[in-house]
Amino acid sequence: MTTHVLVQALGDLEEAAVLEQVQRELADGVPALTVLEELQKGMVLVGERFECDEYFLSELIFAADIFKQANSYLAIDLEQRAGRMIGAMVLGTVKNDIHDFGKDIVGMVLRSNGIEVVDLGVNVGYERFVEAVEEHKPGLVGISCLLTTVYEDMKATIDALKAAGLRDQVKILIGGGPTDQVVADYVGADACCRNAQEAVDAAKRLLGVG
Amino acid sequence: MGDMTGLLEQRRRLLRDTVALRQTQRVPVVPLANAFTVKVVGVSLKDFCADPVLAYETIIQGLTSLGEIDATQQPGYSPWLLQLLWNSRVKVPGVDLPDDTLWQVEELELITPEDYDTIIDGGYGAFLERFYAETLGDPLVKVGPYMESAPAAVAAWEAKGLPVLASGVVTIPFEALCGGRSLRAFVLDLIRMPDRVQAAMDAMMPAMIEGARGMLRAFPTAMGVWVGGWRTASQFLSPTLWERFVFPYYTTMVDVVLEEGGIPVLHFDANWNRDLERLRELPAKKCILSTDGATNIRRAKELLGDRMCLMGDTPAPLLTLGTPDEVYDYASALIRDLGPTGFILSSGCDIPYSAQIENVRALIAAAND
Repeated sequence: MTTHVLVQALGDLEEAAVLEQVQRELADGVPALTVLEELQKGMVLVGERFECDEYFLSELIFAADIFKQANSYLAIDLEQRAGRMIGAMVLGTVKNDIHDFGKDIVGMVLRSNGIEVVDLGVNVGYERFVEAVEEHKPGLVGISCLLTTVYEDMKATIDALKAAGLRDQVKILIGGGPTDQVVADYVGADACCRNAQEAVDAAKRLLGVG
Repeated sequence: MGDMTGLLEQRRRLLRDTVALRQTQRVPVVPLANAFTVKVVGVSLKDFCADPVLAYETIIQGLTSLGEIDATQQPGYSPWLLQLLWNSRVKVPGVDLPDDTLWQVEELELITPEDYDTIIDGGYGAFLERFYAETLGDPLVKVGPYMESAPAAVAAWEAKGLPVLASGVVTIPFEALCGGRSLRAFVLDLIRMPDRVQAAMDAMMPAMIEGARGMLRAFPTAMGVWVGGWRTASQFLSPTLWERFVFPYYTTMVDVVLEEGGIPVLHFDANWNRDLERLRELPAKKCILSTDGATNIRRAKELLGDRMCLMGDTPAPLLTLGTPDEVYDYASALIRDLGPTGFILSSGCDIPYSAQIENVRALIAAAND
């Protein structure tokens, strides 16, 4: 029943209990990949509680931080870890915008929900998105912004992906303070996410695993 | 001038009556604009940021050229003010950014957990003195020209018969710490070291209260101040954190503004839906709740309509991507649903730089037709 204990502890945001339980399970010989899977189930529980207004962004941030700490105990190589991930996203704040707090939080929460994130940083040029999609071949692209002045840059980024023949290979999510469905339609994105949990849900839906 | 004085008084009365939820002849319109007016007037963002006199002249000319407004929310603007508000670095056009790129706040972990102890032990003023010098590069020097220009800015608006609703911005310790610490790190501090953070917040309040009183006394003809809330919005925090680290401090700050005879303009960005009902505890018919489109303003009317004037909330995306007809219809619906008493039509937060000029004209027209 160790699975239930760890999942529940992370779902309940019991930081010390999560870290103790992870170490106990590893000492008992539970495979690291199994522990990782339990932690990911714990994050699903956190997400469910967020969706029914039991948790808020503060709890998502805390849960993702606990997950990150717990993860540091797991000696899993990149190849094995990749096998446990449900998808990948190239993520960045669009050109001409240097805000990163929303992007960083979304990236952290996505990672703890089994989505590999390639973070390109802020003020990311259109071609950089194209290069990253060519290099990493993710199923998802995430574009963040906090300024209404960069809608055109979001559109130009997506147009650049179209011009490179990559648009059909990725689903594109946008997010950030001044974005909504109207903006998503205008720039040609597949979804607009109002918060980190919506990003997780949209990512899973668009990857066909949610 | 005589006519302008009469008009100024008439508009002040309209706003005071609206705040007091008294019957008025119409819904006032008080949009908030800064960078947007650069486009209307045709000056550069770089010059707007470098010269606070040019900034307020541009805002006055830009806004008044688009229709009849009833007041301004703020007398002028300088992006350097954001450094003081959030203890953050700001990138400014012509300094750190190309001349026509909008200023941006850079969110970094500039404040450390050890700084909480410094504030607790030595007070906020002493902390800021060192923090400003060592970390922010003398923001008081940068903001000095704006401070010097502000009395003339207030006078310039009033000379046009337009009241200044808020002489400036005050806030609570949460915003000042969160900005300097970054949201993620600060939220983890609230959870992992709550007593230490709260002690620092309590140690900050005397200086912040003194600052608020000073701002209100320096501009006796302005009608109030913004009591600002951004990262304190309900959407970011659990009820437990919000009740402990947010609401009590706003309650105190609102009382301070009222004691000084000012109108507290609760400039609350992002989504406050969950905690709207708690705002009923603030003094009745004295405050304005100003929202940006993320809070459900109609729900706010249901919950607070007998207690508080609402202001807002034409969303930034609509002003940027919508048509004039769509903006006009949105604003008209606000007036119909939230008026005729206790409502001020406005943009949601400020009119974005990328807003269409005709959309802003349509917003103002909706209140005048």
